[in-house]
Amino acid sequence: MPRLSSLAELQLLRRRIRDSVSKSKPRITVCAGTACQASGANDVQRIVKRHLLEHDLVDRIGLRITGCHGFCEMGPFVVTEPGGMFYPKIGIHDVPAIVSAALSGEPAEYLLYRDSVTGTVCKCMDEIPFFSKQQRTLLSRNQRLDPIRLFDYLADGGYEALAKVLSGFAPEAIIDEIRRSGLRGRGGAGFHTSEKWDMARRQAGDVKYVVCNADEGDPGAYMDRSILEGNPHSVIEGMIIGGIAIGATEGFVFVRHEYPLAIKHVLIALRLAREFGLLGMDILGTGIDFDISIVKSAGAFVCGEETALIRTIEGMVGEPRQRPPFPTERGVNGKPTCINNVETWANVPIVIAQGGDAYAHVGTETSKGTKVFSVVGKVKHTGLVEVPMGTTIKEIVYEIGGGPQDGGKIKAVQIGGPSGGCIPHRRFDLPIDYDSLSQAGAIMGSGGMIVMDQGTCMVDVAKYFMSFLKDESCGKCFTCRKGTQRMWELLDDITEGKGTLAHLDLLETLGKTVAETSMCGLGQSAANPVLSTLRYFRAEYERHIIDLRCDAFVCENLTGAPCQAACPVGTEAWRYAALIARGEYDAAYRVIREANTFPSVCARVCDHRCEQHCRLLTTGHDPLALRALKRFVTDRSDPAAYKPERRDDPVAASMRVAVVGSGPAGLTAAHNLSLRGYKTTVFEADDQPGGLLTSGIPTFRLPREVVQKEIDALIDENITLLCSITLGSDFTVDDLFRDGFDAVFLAVGAHESWRMDIPGEDMAGVYPSMEFLKAWNLRGESLAVGNVGVIGGGNSALDAARVALRQKDVTGVTIFYRRTRQEMPAFEEEIQGALEEGIKLETLATPIELHGENGHITAGEFVVNELGDVDGSGRRRPVKKLGSEYKVPLDTLIVAISEAASEIGAAHSTGLEMRDGTITVDKRTLSTGRPGVFAGGDVVTGPNTVIDAIAAGKRAAQVIDLYLRERDVAVPAEPILPRVYVEPAVSEPAHDVPATRASMPTLPTEQRHKSFIEIEGTFSEEAATREASRCLRCDLEFTRPPQARPSLARSRGGDA
Amino acid sequence: MKTRINPEDVLRIVDKHNDSQGAVISILEDVQAMYNYLPEAALKIISHRTGRSLVDLFGVATFYSSFSLEPRGRHIASVCMGTACHVRGSPKILANFERDLRVKAGQTSDDGEFSLSTVNCLGACALGPVAVIDGDYYRNVKDSDVSGILDRASRINGALRIPDDERVFAVNVSCPNCNRSLMNDEYLLDGYPMVRVTASFGRKHGWMRLSSLYGDYRIRSEYQIPKGVIVHFFCPRCHAELRSGRLCPDCDAPTILLLVRGGGTIQLCSRRGCKQHLLDLGA
Repeated sequence: MPRLSSLAELQLLRRRIRDSVSKSKPRITVCAGTACQASGANDVQRIVKRHLLEHDLVDRIGLRITGCHGFCEMGPFVVTEPGGMFYPKIGIHDVPAIVSAALSGEPAEYLLYRDSVTGTVCKCMDEIPFFSKQQRTLLSRNQRLDPIRLFDYLADGGYEALAKVLSGFAPEAIIDEIRRSGLRGRGGAGFHTSEKWDMARRQAGDVKYVVCNADEGDPGAYMDRSILEGNPHSVIEGMIIGGIAIGATEGFVFVRHEYPLAIKHVLIALRLAREFGLLGMDILGTGIDFDISIVKSAGAFVCGEETALIRTIEGMVGEPRQRPPFPTERGVNGKPTCINNVETWANVPIVIAQGGDAYAHVGTETSKGTKVFSVVGKVKHTGLVEVPMGTTIKEIVYEIGGGPQDGGKIKAVQIGGPSGGCIPHRRFDLPIDYDSLSQAGAIMGSGGMIVMDQGTCMVDVAKYFMSFLKDESCGKCFTCRKGTQRMWELLDDITEGKGTLAHLDLLETLGKTVAETSMCGLGQSAANPVLSTLRYFRAEYERHIIDLRCDAFVCENLTGAPCQAACPVGTEAWRYAALIARGEYDAAYRVIREANTFPSVCARVCDHRCEQHCRLLTTGHDPLALRALKRFVTDRSDPAAYKPERRDDPVAASMRVAVVGSGPAGLTAAHNLSLRGYKTTVFEADDQPGGLLTSGIPTFRLPREVVQKEIDALIDENITLLCSITLGSDFTVDDLFRDGFDAVFLAVGAHESWRMDIPGEDMAGVYPSMEFLKAWNLRGESLAVGNVGVIGGGNSALDAARVALRQKDVTGVTIFYRRTRQEMPAFEEEIQGALEEGIKLETLATPIELHGENGHITAGEFVVNELGDVDGSGRRRPVKKLGSEYKVPLDTLIVAISEAASEIGAAHSTGLEMRDGTITVDKRTLSTGRPGVFAGGDVVTGPNTVIDAIAAGKRAAQVIDLYLRERDVAVPAEPILPRVYVEPAVSEPAHDVPATRASMPTLPTEQRHKSFIEIEGTFSEEAATREASRCLRCDLEFTRPPQARPSLARSRGGDA
Repeated sequence: MKTRINPEDVLRIVDKHNDSQGAVISILEDVQAMYNYLPEAALKIISHRTGRSLVDLFGVATFYSSFSLEPRGRHIASVCMGTACHVRGSPKILANFERDLRVKAGQTSDDGEFSLSTVNCLGACALGPVAVIDGDYYRNVKDSDVSGILDRASRINGALRIPDDERVFAVNVSCPNCNRSLMNDEYLLDGYPMVRVTASFGRKHGWMRLSSLYGDYRIRSEYQIPKGVIVHFFCPRCHAELRSGRLCPDCDAPTILLLVRGGGTIQLCSRRGCKQHLLDLGA
């Protein structure tokens, strides 16, 4: 192909290329960006080629291999034309079907993208929210061209901006166009591009340089890589225009050696551009000379800093130097140098082609155009996202990114790399532009947006960045070199449990000092990750320091074995599993019972956070079935056989404690106080003890005799139990003190169902769930008849529904919930059980009015909800859809939307302040505002789990003991770490554990009809041993004696 | 593990880059690519030729993380420690690599098989946690995947060799000048005809047969062709040189061009040992 020697020849060539492209010919586009290649795009590409060659289809269907489209999570994927059909995550065996579909024009529907929420099939890219909610000015070019083909770029309007400039723009006019566009640097600080160019242009001298900074070092950002790989000519075109504007004759692309594909594509593009006379001497016959070469960076973060970058280009050690002089005055080889990053350069041809004014229509007042973000981390749809400046974080993370991954809860995004900061969820309404981000404590940086959820520890994140920065600090400035090291040590102390509150002050002071006294951006912004996390997540730091806990289960020395750390009462779950594997069941029972006053109860109804945090999950396996193992052990043990040690203490014996409420919190407190030697009186409002264990939880989940046995075992001669006596109506807290009690523990629970506050709620046949459950559980009264509706999605709604279904005059039960199934707070097992039993579930439904005859309910009127904006809980808010009202005939309605403490029972008679039906206490000491009065359990937390109530009871006994001995009730925390070595049953834990857990035997559905027999069974001994052996034994890291360490890692076979 | 240095090789690399901007880093990169690390003897030669002091070269070599002054293993395993990978659990993945290989990051296993390193970000953040072994990316790595990844890496050498692998298929080629077939039905490899060309390098001139399987680099030739040598290819029928006019983006050698029956072309690098190739079915 001859070199183009004039603008006219360029336009002629472009026209010829465009004419030669057949509009009607189907085409398959394979994304082959680095991410898709990592997912297998090269194999897909090969198979497409093979298929086309072997079926003689090369002339009938086009094949285009492109750079990154941005939806990296879905790789490898292909897009077919016509129609823009998008086939995600395909395998090589899908290729023939996709080729036939492209030829026939009918999509291969089973391979198309399905929306992750609604499940609807999206026929083309434009229907996929990930794409349709973006404005993909830069990224959409990637999907239209093969980066190694100049003609693709020309067909897409490439080098048109250059032609425009060459056809009569003076350098000042180019800069003016850029100025009117408002383009600011996309690499970090957001300096105005036109100002930088203008400064470089005004410098005297013949030799000037432009540099493309492609040393994309910010971890978590990869848009520059995608642009260079996918559309290298756009960067080259931008650089030529920049070169002309400032009067440079030479340019460099400074690119990371970690990006081999980008280097290759830039090299090919440079060669082609030169060959066609678009680059080099006498560009397009205009007499302008400008050439570009590649300089590879060898791996040093600081080289992204412009003065360090210059020294690297010069072949020196990449240490920054003082500015001024700025690179625009003294840059590469001491000559004026204009440095912009990849995305900025790629925007230049767009600005020139559209005109600066048109470009400035997009974006905010101070930040113009679109910006590419890499949305990665704990988010469902990871990838590159391009949106107008001013888009909110919420829109990016939820609407485009699809929200949290694996049902997690997003708590923050980290924006701007190591110099940036963390923005908490509550500020997700923040529109993203340069200025609002810096006010919020982050920076735009290159646009890395790392989403973090409850499994991300913010202290660890700060430590991570500091570790990065201390390694990458070049060492020239003392404060940065030592300061980053020292800050890392302080953070390390905190994550190791050795921190103090003074560490936090020191971190802040040190951070400010490093920022003020360092020469380059690395040091000046080094404290940002620490300062921003301290600003928004101080409580998390304090939790590490004061309570020695890492709630994200990340900091190892504050987590130990996650199963144990996750348990509110600190049960050594790993230990009883290990003992079961060894066949030592009595020892296993003792381990369980020492931590937990209600082991048999928890073996049935615990929400088992131990399982939710089991490390087997990180290996992609089912978590260990710890609750089922606990059931196996408790089923073979008699609670009465366990005799805990009781202290004889004359001081304690002289004191009396009143415990109000005999649920799990109250009885646990009474029992533990008794073990400490105190005389305790338990006051119960119902006619039998147990609280919700007997009055709320149905017997098919928790048989009454199981509860009774455990309660009997807890009550000893130190404990007096008084039933049918109610706080408020029968006595007050003042009465208790008057009667000589020295301390009071309020654990009255939350028995008052919330009202819906809709018309018709007070009709007959409408029951609060607590009233309904108590009537059955305590008195055997069936309140439900006919067609039953249940409002709510929590455990009490599910319990009510399943009890109602079993009552004799009930014909059918439907649960109405206002959000979606995924968001129901009830245990998954309960929802599953209810559905198996034939209970209907209607989601996205809110009751608005109840209708009746003669004062008795006959129907409920509901409205359909749509999912709206994301609310404070990170869930999409249900929004009523107008005109969607519908009626459902109902004979009984049970309302289970939430519960609170009885106002009469607590507020008036305690003299304590209540908020939303709960008593406010100090979380750590359970102290109320009134000396000697403590509170815990559901009355403090609102409806909550059994195990949390037990934990509150244990804590109450501990603090009441301290209070009565006139000591500080603030107990210094200890880290929950495994301490006892249990020799593994087999010498080396098996490496290839079964991925699936043993399943618990359950009563067949047909036998559950109108039956209150317990549904769940127990493991056989064989199943229990097998299941217990799946444990990864996280404890051994902490307990294994030196002589028991494995001598050799397993040997590796098959070496060539 | 003493590496023998051929001073001429080093000098050739120095002379290739010496005039360009940022020469030293490019020189060190190429030398490292040749020896897998930077042998001191090579640094002395570079110092002598470029006039940069040895201490200066050591400064550069130790400043940038991609250079190694120690010999590295046959396989290079890198675990990405970027932020996105970190929040998705890369520290645990690294710990598993360290445990399985019994080395710490930055070290090489005793048997010289694996060097383990960390990298600050590989730019594949959407797929975290990511590990790269010998240039192959592994996405969404889980704790339990690590052993399998290492086993696989120590078994394969990158090339596809299994004839029944679907990704390996025969390509039928002809001369772009005379359009006559280059397929040689008498010489089969794994049951497929080989591609016959005439090869010339140095003063040698003789026949050469290439595997017709796409992605298979095996050849047979009349003369032994040393690694790194650029070969001229000719059509055995019309004797035209099979040049594409383009240079290899990996090694700068000229590439050769063949027509593919069914449409499109195939371009191959003419340097022995370079695997650059492109099956181009047209736009």
